[in-house]
Amino acid sequence: MILSLSWRNIWRNKTRSLIVVATLAVGLLGGVMFMGLINGWVEQRMHDSIHNEIAHIQIHNPQYLLNEETQHYISDYPSIITALDTMKSVIGYTGRIKVFAMAQSDRATSGIVVMGINPTEEATVSEISTKLVAGEFLENNHRVPSIVVGSTTAESLKLINYNITSEKLDSIDESKIPVEVKDSLKLLIGQRFRSKTTFQKELKSILADNYDSHVDYILKCFAEYRLNSSVILTLQTPEGELHNQMFKVRGVYKTTNSAFDGRFAYVERGILASTAGLQENQVHEVAVLCTGLDEGKTAAASLAPNFKFLSVRSWEQVSPEIAMYAEMGNFMGMIYIVIILFALAFGIVNTMMMSVLERIRELGMLMAIGMNKIRVFTMIMVESILLSLTGGIVGMAISAVILSILSKTGVDFGMWAEGFEALGYSSMVYPEITVGNYVMITVLVIITGMVASLWPARRALKLKPVEALRHE
Amino acid sequence: MAIIEVVNVEKIYNDSEVKVSALKGINLQFNQGEFTTIVGPSGSGKTTLLNLLGGLDKPSAGRICVDGVWIDTLSGSKLIDFRLHHIGFVFQAYNLIPVLTASENVELIMQLQGVPSGIRRKVARDLLDQVGLADRYDSRPSQLSGGQQQRVAVARALASKPKFILADEPTANLDGKSAENLLEIMEHLNHEHDVTFIFSTHDQRVVSKAHRIVLLEDGMVKSDEFRV
Repeated sequence: MILSLSWRNIWRNKTRSLIVVATLAVGLLGGVMFMGLINGWVEQRMHDSIHNEIAHIQIHNPQYLLNEETQHYISDYPSIITALDTMKSVIGYTGRIKVFAMAQSDRATSGIVVMGINPTEEATVSEISTKLVAGEFLENNHRVPSIVVGSTTAESLKLINYNITSEKLDSIDESKIPVEVKDSLKLLIGQRFRSKTTFQKELKSILADNYDSHVDYILKCFAEYRLNSSVILTLQTPEGELHNQMFKVRGVYKTTNSAFDGRFAYVERGILASTAGLQENQVHEVAVLCTGLDEGKTAAASLAPNFKFLSVRSWEQVSPEIAMYAEMGNFMGMIYIVIILFALAFGIVNTMMMSVLERIRELGMLMAIGMNKIRVFTMIMVESILLSLTGGIVGMAISAVILSILSKTGVDFGMWAEGFEALGYSSMVYPEITVGNYVMITVLVIITGMVASLWPARRALKLKPVEALRHE
Repeated sequence: MAIIEVVNVEKIYNDSEVKVSALKGINLQFNQGEFTTIVGPSGSGKTTLLNLLGGLDKPSAGRICVDGVWIDTLSGSKLIDFRLHHIGFVFQAYNLIPVLTASENVELIMQLQGVPSGIRRKVARDLLDQVGLADRYDSRPSQLSGGQQQRVAVARALASKPKFILADEPTANLDGKSAENLLEIMEHLNHEHDVTFIFSTHDQRVVSKAHRIVLLEDGMVKSDEFRV
């Protein structure tokens, strides 16, 4: 009956209790939304890291990891394939030739890492072929071989023009670019800009206050990649000779990581092998995709003893900061919730104290007829916990509904896209909250209720029945 | 056999810098089945004596034995537990829990004693029947008259199967008819079920029904009269 009594005691003053419940609900809603955004960001970063960049396992010649020199390749790729084919948790694998090269276009040069891949093999591990913003991904045979570069590399090599046409302008939805901005952009129709900086300068002068909120989207919309431009790659062979080879830029990709986009380019493995003086099976890196993060770690641990002379590393060893992102993201979200609950606890303390002071005579009676101090303390603590939980549950329920919608539609931070991508984060976030998060928040809410009840409960325990019974 | 023995009890209050001697050298015995009133003018020590008999306060000197236990030596949870199982209370201001129904208010004390819920409910309803509230089990105190609330309080006091019930001015907040009804019920319980009642009261209606009248003046027993 203490539970029932406590629950009914909360609602003696409905208005007061509802205010506390609403305060808790709104506070937790904010906290849970923030946590959802952090989780979404971290999840997206981890997914993109694994599926675009590092995979679950990487195998190298240990010498290669020191200076990434061409001569330190893996000589027995076929036996690695044989071992991987027997492992149930392996979804796909790809052998990559990786060489540093100087890329030279007709207008600029840029240092890049060229990945020689088998596109079919690569597609089993990496999603890079799905990230094209222009052209094709090493499809079809061409007389001059193809190269696929990242959008940042395309910019460095001055392979992008910016050109506003009336057709393109009319096709853009007003929700993306408002009418007044479109009208301003019309001043630039017919002008072609070869440099991003020059284009940005013009935009700033015509858009003024609207510049910051729309520039990233405008750059994305009106970028024209100069496909079929020629690029000469100069690279060093294992013998130390410099060789060069002409490629045509037939594809441009863009991931959420602009640093990655500025570093890696993709060509056919056979072409790169012959340019670099290697055999096609002499690869520098074997990347493996597994069924999950934990499976990747387990698979790496079981593979390593079979290839003692090679470096076999799981994603956690290749990129420890990714594991740290996940932990830190969770930790930051929890800290935020703790801070919110700490602030809200004062409101609960106030409400509970008022509730105790209004019931002095009643509490005196209860102690007189035989309710011991533990029971009185428990009753007040349960009231506080129930009040906190009610607000907590309402807040979490509302946040679950909102997050279930936002996890599908996403939250667009387009205004800060460039900044996010420089750090490797997408500007479109799909928030998510796990059951574990909700359980932890519930525990924190209960602890808040318990802590908030301590002072009011202590006040009640100090009552002497004889004096309390005389209270007005 | 005496269920309560009061031996040379004194109670001195030290409020501010003034010492007030509320009770001086009280010696009394109470037996099973008594229907006793403690009367006296305001400030005579009636409520103080009742509080001491109920273990709600401790004497400054002397001893009190209830059902073979010297309660002046008990403290903390032991004293609270003793009250729960041995002493019933009826207060002037009823002091029912407003968020509980009549039946739940009576059950509460049995729940504190650890009585299973099925038995509690039955006993509570039987007691409410005895005090004439058979049709009010599920009414909250705000839906009951003063007299009805006080009858619920009597049922609650009885629920713990106490050795005796202490009633401090139980009729003070009741109209004439309600007070009469309440007293009839208490008399009935005393006659038929041997329930011991000790009242502190100014109410002549209560005094008129008492079998024993203890008159206090200035903290001392002036007279102790048994009626036939």
